[in-house]
Amino acid sequence: MTTVKPIVLAEDNPRDAELALAAMEEHHIADKVVVCHDGAEVLDYLYCRGVFASRQQGNPVVVFLDLKMPKVDGLEVLKTIKNDVNLKPIPVVMLTSSREERDLAQSYALGANAYVVKPVEFHQFITAVKELGVFWGVINEPPPEGSDLIDSLITKDL
Amino acid sequence: MESITQERPATPAPVRSEPAPDSSPALIPKTGGRRKWFTHWSIERRVLAGFGLVFAGIVVISAISYRNTSVLIENSRLDTKSNELVQLLGSVGEALGGAESGHRRYLVTGDESYLRSYRTVVEQMPEYLRYLRGLTSEEAEQQARVATLEQLIARQLGAEAEAIAQRELHGYEAVRHLALSGAAKNELEGINRLMTELDSAEQRALHARVVQSAGSTRNTIALLGLGALLQLVLLASVYFLIHHDVTERRRVATELQSRGELLQAANKELEAFSYSVSHDLRAPLRHIDGYAALLSKAAGEALNDKARRYLQTISDSAKQMGQLIDDLIVFSRMGRQDMLRTTVNLDQLVKTVLHDLRLDLQGRTISWTMHPLPNVSGDPAMLRQVFLNLISNALKFTATRPETKIEIGALRRNPGEAEVFVRDNGVGFDMQYVHKLFGVFQRLHRNDEFEGTGIGLANVRRIIHRHGGKTWAEGAPDQGATFYFSLPLARSLR
Repeated sequence: MTTVKPIVLAEDNPRDAELALAAMEEHHIADKVVVCHDGAEVLDYLYCRGVFASRQQGNPVVVFLDLKMPKVDGLEVLKTIKNDVNLKPIPVVMLTSSREERDLAQSYALGANAYVVKPVEFHQFITAVKELGVFWGVINEPPPEGSDLIDSLITKDL
Repeated sequence: MESITQERPATPAPVRSEPAPDSSPALIPKTGGRRKWFTHWSIERRVLAGFGLVFAGIVVISAISYRNTSVLIENSRLDTKSNELVQLLGSVGEALGGAESGHRRYLVTGDESYLRSYRTVVEQMPEYLRYLRGLTSEEAEQQARVATLEQLIARQLGAEAEAIAQRELHGYEAVRHLALSGAAKNELEGINRLMTELDSAEQRALHARVVQSAGSTRNTIALLGLGALLQLVLLASVYFLIHHDVTERRRVATELQSRGELLQAANKELEAFSYSVSHDLRAPLRHIDGYAALLSKAAGEALNDKARRYLQTISDSAKQMGQLIDDLIVFSRMGRQDMLRTTVNLDQLVKTVLHDLRLDLQGRTISWTMHPLPNVSGDPAMLRQVFLNLISNALKFTATRPETKIEIGALRRNPGEAEVFVRDNGVGFDMQYVHKLFGVFQRLHRNDEFEGTGIGLANVRRIIHRHGGKTWAEGAPDQGATFYFSLPLARSLR
């Protein structure tokens, strides 16, 4: 079970995606990465529909979200995830070029777990992506999959 | 962005039209000074002056009208008196005439009944005379005539009384000569002459007064007419002034509002622009640097030193442009970000800035001279940026010195204002380029001498201007530089 939990990377720019994959390659976690090219694709993946209809069930270990994406943007995806009882436990990391305070504030208000500004410098970028991948994909203990425990906790909370 | 540049040419137009009123005094040099002085007055003063003139006019006209009316009232009182006098004179003349003819008839006939009217006149005469004196009491000339008249009347009545007594004692023969001509023939003539004089003098006075009254009435009417006209003119000009001012204000308000809306739209666009810059411009740079790094890794040993240096240059340039974009975003944010106004402890602020710079300070020999700084009123985050930029600059331009000296202090030369300075013993600058120091992208050193984007000091100036302060600098090549900025003091220190 522990080896196959995927990392979702939502990135509309193929070069950024390639660079991110190159960075994760160095730590041999690239094979776990599912690249989505817009927000709609991320939602398709999470809800197992469209091209992802036949994928193995289960939530990803982490979702990396770009802010500016075609069709459905990062903030909308974030909102959908955090408003869905089943998706809510998934850690969401905003990975974006924007340093604007407004984006930061909105992301955290919607329940983002982390906010990372992509550095211009490649080495810094590699380090950042690598560390993020390692932390969320390897070090961080993900929430128990599909257990009734979370549901009961959440309903209790409500 | 296009709409902003299109809007620009509209802005200088009203400014150009403004010098017109200034040029008019030059055309009329004689009245120019007065004109300038008048136009220099504020609208409130002008309106006040207008109302003051109207008020003064009303006071003057009222005073003159009051005086004229008093003259009219006085004249009409005197007229009444004169008319009474004329009437009285007639009665006196008639009474004296009656007495005279009565006493003569008695002298001739000895019939006592003829003396009745004479005795009535003698009885009434003191009363008549008192009345006469009363009516002429204000005219010295007439009074003198009345006094003479009294004497003459007394003498006439005396002479007549004497004649009557003679007739009673010695009979008709004794008074025969008197009976024909009357006892007081001379006096009677004098009396008649005096009475005529009195009468004509009074008539003359009456006439003079009629002329005077008519004149004064005419004056009053003319004055009231002129006054009303003047007031109308003054009030009209005051109205015009106020109307002009109100229209002007309304126009300015509308213009301000439309400009405010334009500015808001421009600001929104700028914000979108800067957002887009921060987000989209970074991505290609990241790709340049990233792929250069990947290429260098993939080609590995196959690259010679030259090729490796080229790749290094590509990624250095990408990094530099990234820094430039970051600095520009900060610069733009400093211009539009809402500003706080709180009391800022500058001593504390400098300490935190030095703490943030601790990595840059490592391995440097620096002698700091810190004078106490006052509390100022401003935005702490923005002022932090000011000190960060100035101290970083000082550190950067002293990097070539064996011992770095940095001094931070404040002067208080103007009330309500602090002048803070940051002084270093670095490479300094030539004062002939001082005007370029605070401009965006203006640099006085080549990039291979000292790194930088040329935005730091522009940011300092922008922040200080937003605080209502000024920035300036002093320096000489190789003699170090001092950067000054002024800030409003905290309220408690003013």
